[in-house]
Amino acid sequence: MLEVFNLTCGYNGRKEVIKDVSFHVRRGDFIGIIGPNGSGKTTLFRALTKILPIWQGEILYEGEDIRKISSKELAKKVAVLPQILEITFPFTVSEFVMMGRFPHLERFEKVKEGDLEVVRRAIESTDTLSLRDRKIGELSGGERQRVLLAQALAQQPELLLLDEPTTHLDISHQVDILDMVKRLSLEKDLTIISILHDLNLASEYCKRLILLKEGKIFKEGTPGDVLTCQDIKEVYNTVVVVDKSPISFKPHLFLYSKWDKGEI
Amino acid sequence: MRNVFFILIILLISSFFGCLMFGGGRISIEEVITGLFHPQSEGVASTIIWQIRIPRVILGFLVGAGLAASGCVFQGLLRNPLAEPYTLGVSGGAAFGATIGVILELGSFWLPGCAFLGALLSISLVYLVASIKRFSIPTLVLGGVILSFLFSSMVMFIFAISQSDRIHSCILWLMGDLSVAEPNLIKLILIFILIGVSSILIFSRDLNILTLGEEKATHLGVEVIKVKRLLFIITSFITGGCVSASGIIGFVGLIIPHFMRQLIGPNHVVLIPASVLAGAIFLSLCDCLARTIIAPQELPVGVITGILGGIFFLTFLLRAKRWEIF
Repeated sequence: MLEVFNLTCGYNGRKEVIKDVSFHVRRGDFIGIIGPNGSGKTTLFRALTKILPIWQGEILYEGEDIRKISSKELAKKVAVLPQILEITFPFTVSEFVMMGRFPHLERFEKVKEGDLEVVRRAIESTDTLSLRDRKIGELSGGERQRVLLAQALAQQPELLLLDEPTTHLDISHQVDILDMVKRLSLEKDLTIISILHDLNLASEYCKRLILLKEGKIFKEGTPGDVLTCQDIKEVYNTVVVVDKSPISFKPHLFLYSKWDKGEI
Repeated sequence: MRNVFFILIILLISSFFGCLMFGGGRISIEEVITGLFHPQSEGVASTIIWQIRIPRVILGFLVGAGLAASGCVFQGLLRNPLAEPYTLGVSGGAAFGATIGVILELGSFWLPGCAFLGALLSISLVYLVASIKRFSIPTLVLGGVILSFLFSSMVMFIFAISQSDRIHSCILWLMGDLSVAEPNLIKLILIFILIGVSSILIFSRDLNILTLGEEKATHLGVEVIKVKRLLFIITSFITGGCVSASGIIGFVGLIIPHFMRQLIGPNHVVLIPASVLAGAIFLSLCDCLARTIIAPQELPVGVITGILGGIFFLTFLLRAKRWEIF
């Protein structure tokens, strides 16, 4: 559904951040984008959602060049869960989720029963019913992520982009939100691309991983292909031991401190 | 929600009658009503009502509504509760434009246009500064203060070098005064405000989403650059209209949206209409106070809103949490 060919892009006047990146995403995929800080993960997302212009190459969404798709049309198909969202004004959770219907409404069109139904389902499937009348600013980190997810679902997207959905969450909320995303991807036939910091979570949830290094794709494949100690050493410049999770038998990384080895 | 609008409309009607009753001299409610229904009669009350007070109340309504609506838009677009035409220096720019119009003796028909261009110049500068230095609250407020100084110095410069005998009325007008407007100008402003406010209302849903930031707004399908540019032009248009008729009236656009947001929430679909009504009520009542407080003399209404706004601004700064300011 999404094809990226030789994409190069970056920020105004500065040098390119993403260099010659190509990959394909099939319907129903769950793809993790990993890589060290500054490797261009968020920039890649910005190009995929038309925030940044494409310098070279092209991005096709279902065969159509995204430069030819209006932001409104794109918002009906692609939703984004941002890493940070500062909310200045005291909107309630239900008002906030309702904003997800924006791309589906014409300028003078009233909110219809159908829209309310979509919002209701989005709220139910993210378990945010009890938060409906709370103000966004008052929510905890985990609640907030669920509400953001509800808004994204209200867009009725085919593709969901998540930018580090687990940062700032404690482990129980990390697992909660990713379980929820995984469930939705299966139930609603949603395609997921997620930037993840935590390589073990990436291994646990993603079908395929794309490892970025300095704006280029270093390696792409199943978690077993990508998460090898040589590659991690090469990209992150950190020594790790890779073993298997005793529960899922997926690759699991163990870090070790130089202290233990007596190097310090 | 319905109740709030009901109360606002009642207040609007009562402030209309209140403003007709009070002023340099007091007119009883009976006289007001008879005067209202007999516009052609020779009586003193009827003349005062139709010649002086009605144009003034209507202008107060229009300017108050326009400034409050512009305040809502600026606050939403810049995601900043302290943004409004006055604090951003947009009113200053409009005053600069209008002053040039006055000095060139262009006639009152052209003044709103000149003020509009001045406002547009100023908002472009604010936006440029803010986009270079990011939209933090201190940058915006400081940028606005600096621009206001700059424009008011340029206005003073123009006054200093010009020989025009209209300077005295100009200075009064600059302080924010509803009394000097000519009837034709009021009709023109009516059109400015009606067009401006109704065009803003078309974008109220976009504004809600723009408060989440430009990136999220794009993700939700708002054509950010187009909508933002249009809204800046419309608010400059409204501010230009307001300033050309009544000079620099500060803080209406700050206080009114703030209180309305507390009362009915941040949803612009209802916030803008409520602020429009409340702004109209607030400014006409301030003007009524300005006319009566040292009667038979009058204060420029900008003095009253300036004092109230200053107190409000100060309390906001004292009560705000650190993250709201920085």
